[in-house]
Amino acid sequence: MKRREFLSLTTTMAAGALASSAFKPAKAAGKELRILTWEGYADDQWVKAFEQKTGSTVSISYTGSVDEIFAKMTASGGADFDVIAIETSSYKRLTQEKLLQPVDLAKVPQSSNLLPAFRSVSAIIFDGKPYAVPFAWGSIPLIYSTDTFKTAPDSWSILWDPKYKGRIIVMDDANNAIVTTALLLGFKDPFNLSADQFLQVKAKLLEQKANVASYYAGFDDGVSIFAQGGIDLMMSMGEPQAPMLRSRGANVGLTIPKEGAIGWIDCWAISAKARDTELAHAWVDAMLEKAVGTYISEKTGYGNTTNGDANEKIGLTYSDRLVFLQAPEDFGRRIELWNEIKATPVQQ
Amino acid sequence: MMTVVSAELADTSVGPPRWLASPGKIVVRLLVYGVPTVMILAPLMSFLAYSFLEQKDNIVTGHLTLANYAAFFQSGSYLYVFFGTVKLAFVVATVALFLGYIISYLIWRLEGSTRYLLLLLSALPLVMNYVVKIYAMRSILGFNGFLNSFLMASGIINAPSKLFIFNQTAVMLAMAVIYLPFGILPIFLALERIPQSLLSAAADLGAKPGQIFLTVILPLSLPGSIAGALFVMVIALGDYLTPQMVGGSEGFTFGRAIWSQFGMAFNWPFGAALAVVLLVTVIALIGLASLIARKARLG
Repeated sequence: MKRREFLSLTTTMAAGALASSAFKPAKAAGKELRILTWEGYADDQWVKAFEQKTGSTVSISYTGSVDEIFAKMTASGGADFDVIAIETSSYKRLTQEKLLQPVDLAKVPQSSNLLPAFRSVSAIIFDGKPYAVPFAWGSIPLIYSTDTFKTAPDSWSILWDPKYKGRIIVMDDANNAIVTTALLLGFKDPFNLSADQFLQVKAKLLEQKANVASYYAGFDDGVSIFAQGGIDLMMSMGEPQAPMLRSRGANVGLTIPKEGAIGWIDCWAISAKARDTELAHAWVDAMLEKAVGTYISEKTGYGNTTNGDANEKIGLTYSDRLVFLQAPEDFGRRIELWNEIKATPVQQ
Repeated sequence: MMTVVSAELADTSVGPPRWLASPGKIVVRLLVYGVPTVMILAPLMSFLAYSFLEQKDNIVTGHLTLANYAAFFQSGSYLYVFFGTVKLAFVVATVALFLGYIISYLIWRLEGSTRYLLLLLSALPLVMNYVVKIYAMRSILGFNGFLNSFLMASGIINAPSKLFIFNQTAVMLAMAVIYLPFGILPIFLALERIPQSLLSAAADLGAKPGQIFLTVILPLSLPGSIAGALFVMVIALGDYLTPQMVGGSEGFTFGRAIWSQFGMAFNWPFGAALAVVLLVTVIALIGLASLIARKARLG
């Protein structure tokens, strides 16, 4: 997901510095687990517990982007890492390039902790075998100003309403814009659009452009534009934008419109060339402890996949209304379409 | 100085021949040529190579192809964005030349320490982070920004206006402000190179201040100033963040188009081809700038 790429340059640089630790020689004695993940997904408290329990050492490499994960995994055919955490739409490509191995759920007893909505996510099942285990989730919701809207808008079509011309911001992300528009248009499979559906989405997004004040570049950018005033609606980049806006004095609400919204799930997966598959499975299992899930929700504001109460506490009660991201038919074509939209001058 | 040089020459004439350098010299030479090769040339070459590779189903096949370039030249939207970006950079460079010349000239005419103090002040924004500058510009031009509050307080407008943000005007303003220091410095240097004696001679021969400016100062400083402006254009060409952040829905530039081919698109060969197009444009501009600068030096 791009949402993290923008968080801040310093984080990326720090992550880069940490990532270089991957090149350190492996420790000779004892078992070692090599993890490639996002910051916040391998925190000290559960890493330490895992090390003690299994008598292993854990080496963590942080990543700043999905690109980086692919580059690092393909460079060695997956031999450099044992487990990775990545978002659902990447699995088609990862399994195509044979960089992952299926997860043996018999070795992950705590998978019984998984909430029903996360037990059979189709985007991570190939040939009937699960290739990952869901860990954290969130959505691409609609954020609105409660000063303007007394009740939450119930449809994405509000972003096309000329009444709010120039008072709308939309994230600059091809796939999210296209999938959300496809949901609004009622297409059954927003990840596999026909040529005709592509044309309809394009026309619809061009129509929206006249309303859009700005296609914002990232998490903080969206918050900063909205908080400065003059904006009523935003296709957001994720739940944490709402509390960020409130802390900056904006009165906002967050809603999942009736057409549904995009959901993303970060899942743990095991590299095809994991050195110690038992240990890798043990890590995946440990990540499904309810305590870990609770911590994820409390700390990051994202949903977890094991503790429903913790999700409810932070307002993430709508996992069943989300359309979880899958690999689209052709990413290049979607980027192409989005670039065309951005390159077309607004028809007044 | 002379004696040192001759001593060195004498030393090498009796020692081993010059080309048989000492290990220390080899190391130095490796550093001098090796570091730029590894750090700059190799990455450039790798993306040049990438731009000729074929990609099918998200996987680079390794076959050579011109399809990436063909895709650029055949696509209406990428060409449109490319020329739009060149135009934007040109306007920014022109503004930087015009405003930069006025400011540099005024500083140059000053005497004593105030002159260098002002020059330093005008270059000070260069030490500030560029993203911070964009945010600063946005909080000046924005809806509840400084400009709007000022206009409202002075009674010129009743409600905050969106005229200053999220449009082409905002992009021009923000980029002109951010890139102005890059214009001021080379223009000041061009003015500084004019020998004082020429101005005195012109004055002695009875030229009025206006005449001196038009016939002596301007012709002598213009080539260097234009070269400076071309460098501003080069920097502005690659900047996609400023237009994105203040330009609103029209803030799409070529750099962002290149960026979009990486990330989730995974189309590195096409992204590399777009980057090569931009690189060639930039090299042509730098070539032009150095040509103008050299002509100016030779008179």
